[in-house]
Order: sequence, then C-alpha cells, then structure tokens
Amino acid sequence: MTTSVVVDRLDERRPGPGDTFGGVGHPGARLLAGRPAYDGTETLAQHLDRLGIVPPPRRGAGLVDAVHDSGLGGRGGAGFPMAEKMEAAARAPGPRLVVVNASESEPASHKDRVLVHLRPHLVLDGAALAAEALSADEIVVQLHRGDPAGYGALSAAIAERTAARLDRVPVHLSVGPDRFVAGESSAVVAFLEGRPAQPRPGPRAAVSGVHGCPTLVQNAETLAHVALIARFGPDWFRAAGTPGSPGSVLVTLAGDVERPGTVLEVWGATTIGRLLVSCSRSGHATIAEIGPVPGAAVLMGGYAGAWADMARVWELPLAHDELCRAGVPLGCGLVGVLSPDGCGLVETARLLTYLATESSGQCGPCAFGLPDLAAQATALATTRVSRSAVRRLYHRTASIAGRGACSHPDGAVRLLESALETFAGDVRYHLRHGPCAGARNGVTFPVPRSSEEWR
Amino acid sequence: MRLVVDFTRCRGHGICTVLFAERAELDEWGFPVIDPADLDSAPLVRRARRAVVACPRGALSVETSEPR
Repeated sequence: MTTSVVVDRLDERRPGPGDTFGGVGHPGARLLAGRPAYDGTETLAQHLDRLGIVPPPRRGAGLVDAVHDSGLGGRGGAGFPMAEKMEAAARAPGPRLVVVNASESEPASHKDRVLVHLRPHLVLDGAALAAEALSADEIVVQLHRGDPAGYGALSAAIAERTAARLDRVPVHLSVGPDRFVAGESSAVVAFLEGRPAQPRPGPRAAVSGVHGCPTLVQNAETLAHVALIARFGPDWFRAAGTPGSPGSVLVTLAGDVERPGTVLEVWGATTIGRLLVSCSRSGHATIAEIGPVPGAAVLMGGYAGAWADMARVWELPLAHDELCRAGVPLGCGLVGVLSPDGCGLVETARLLTYLATESSGQCGPCAFGLPDLAAQATALATTRVSRSAVRRLYHRTASIAGRGACSHPDGAVRLLESALETFAGDVRYHLRHGPCAGARNGVTFPVPRSSEEWR
Repeated sequence: MRLVVDFTRCRGHGICTVLFAERAELDEWGFPVIDPADLDSAPLVRRARRAVVACPRGALSVETSEPR
C-alpha cells in the first residue's frame, strides 16, 4: 500500500460558474478548506485561527440534535445516520468509548489519509465533541500500519492539544494491520480488545463494543463534518449536497484519470459526469467534455464496489442515497474510470483474486466461495471458457452473498455481478474468441500485496 | 422467527441439514444454506430448535428479530 499522500493540485484554479467541487484549499471546499496541500499538516494555531473554538450551545447534548438535524450519514461506506448511532450509544449503559476509524482499507481510496494528514485537528475536534456529548471516557484513533504520515500528523496534533489543554477526554492512537477487512467496525472493536482484527457477528458496537462498552465507531471524515456542524450549524451543512444526502463528500479518483489518487471534496449535487469531465486523461478530455466516453466503464465505491457503464451513471449525483438506488453505492467515495481500451473482465478477475486473499477465512462460504469465484473469473478473462462455465459462475454468486459475518463476500459478489452485466459484450467476445486485446493492456486498478498479519 | 447461522462458528458438519432438511441444505462447499422464510408453525420452530441444540459448533440460533 502506498504511504505517500497524493493530493490534488487544483488549488491554483479559480472556481468557475457552477463549480461545485474542489481540492485542498479550493474556495468551494469545507473539510479541505484553508491552506494548500503543499503546506502540509495544519497546526493547532492555524486551525483555531481559521475556525475558532466550538461555541457552547452545540457542545454536549446539543450536539446530538445538531447532528440529527444535519442528516449526516457515515462516510465509511454504509452511510448509516450518525445521530442514530450516537443515540444508541447514549442510551446504552456503561463507560463509553469513541473510536475514530481512520484505517482506510480500500487500496485505491485516499480520502481519509489525506484528511488525517492535512487536517488532523478537524477530525480530533469532531471526536472530542462526540466524546463530550456521550460522556465518553476515552477516544481511540485507529490507523493502518501503512499510514506513517497519518500517524505522524495525529501524534503531533494530539501533543499540541494536550499542551493547550484543549480536550477533556484523553486521545490514544492505535495502529492495526493493513488488511482489507480490518477496517470494518467490528474488526476494529476486536483489535482494540487485543484479538485479531477480524469482523465478528453480534450486537452493534454502539450498543456493545470494546469489552462490552458502548463504542461509537465513526469514520474520520464523518467526525470532521461533525466539527463543522458544531460550528456552523445543520442548516449550513445542508446547503451542500442533496436533501437525501446532505453535506459535501470526499471522493478519490482512480484508474484512467489524469491523476489517480486525487482527493476532491464534492458537493453532493455534483453529477459523476461533471466530476469526470474535470479529471479525464487528456486523450479522452475532448470526448468527456461533451459526454460519457463510449465503451468506458466506471468502478464506484471501491474494489468491493460495483461497475457501471459510464453513460448510465453520467447524470447521477454523487449522493449516497441516489447511488444506492441506482445499484452503484458511493461506498468509500472511490470513483474509478476504465477506458474503452481496458478489459473489465481482467480487472474484475484481479480485484476478485485480491478480495479472496483478503477474506479473514472465518466463514466457510466466503473462505471457499471467493477463491472459487476468483478462479472462475480469471478463467473467463484469460482463456476461452465454455458457456456452461459462465452459467456456473452466475449460479455461484447466488450461494455466497449474505452468508458472512461481515459484508465482505457480498461486496465481492456485487463486483462480479455488476461486471457480468456491464461487460456483457466482452463476455460474449471472450466466449467466441478468447481473451480480447484489452486483456493484454496494462493494469488499471492495481492491488497491493496482502499482509500476513491480523494483529 | 427464523433460523440463522453464525458462519464464523460453522464448520460444515451438516447435522442441521439432516435434522431440518425442509429448510436447510448444503451448498457446494458443504456449508448450510438456510431458507430465510419465517418459521411460521409450532412444529417448524420445534424442529429448528432441535437443530440448534444438535449443532456441535453452537453455530445456529433461532432469532425473533432481523439480524443487525
């Protein structure tokens, strides 16, 4: 996994009419507002200079109401309403814990690490406010081992806040293994209990988390939004985004785009088309300025996300609820592009092989099913298979989804099913002629080498 | 009510598919596929409970509400 933080350099760009997205320091940005990316981590003095201290009315219990009115949904992937989680944790008895989930597991997603590296105080503000509101005793920030930049920025930020006696609740850093499912909230809870960072079934963490204590596990971006909602209010928050998915959202661009790894802050009403026009690789820029590139596909939501024809999603807004309804969930905010020269079946086979090795192996249908799916998808992509083999592949997907302790197998199955639908033409070509020319092209969505560790 | 499997415990002994064959069958890897339909009669619930007790891994349970 890459350890360097890739950020967008759109800061010099002036906003045009109808411009509703921007990179670090862009006038339209909220989370990424302030100093340009090359200035590095924002210090506490700079942070307070820019945003001030949170006013008392929205501290404590008032925060839950503000978050409720804002309609803030979780930004880790599932989009679960944050206020509901806070209310559940507040109702449950016992000492409480707030966990900042900054262990960004999607290999191509960088939004959380960019946020934590550049604006650690925004994330820590949000965590401190949530902890105050829930009368929590401790805040833990969970990171991946492969994110030393985030670790450095956060430890420096925590030291600054301690010296300034800013927070009532103590903050600790925790570093977990670089594994795909280790960032799942029940896996984070397991890791914090000293067990392997593997998902587990059972009650929600908000009700019974670390050692049975009510644990608010929130994605880093979600908590950064809380820091701004507490300052500027729910109405301000709702001015961005759509009524169903309020607020701005961080996205990472991947694949055949000008600069893969670019993190942008998008106002939810921006369409995928508008976003792609801004970042298409020069060769396709002229086409993309007019409309979707014919034959190009989009990978939405992450490596365990869903494929879609670029034309189908072109007019869809980057809003969690609408994308869910369209079958291409926003997930962790990854928007990947596969040019018409690439082979979606080869890409899918590689992603599935990666997802199979990233299964924690606890649940039979996932431990056996994913390697099987990956092998069959690889055969379809790289050799000439029979029609019955493809039928078998369709059948197999049905017996895996929904049968794990976490949604890892479901994500892998959705990726494959969306690929078979989006690349139906390629499937027919592969059946008749064997691998297509695109199968010999380079890798568009690279996968990291899997770590061996679970602790 | 419905019968649910905790697949982190299940090791595919398959006893549930013998004791509760009308709602449980084995997939191609030997793990149970449970019909998610409601256990809508007392005999069905009884047979489901028998499967729960018989599971050597304690992986089965009868749940009254939707899982999380």
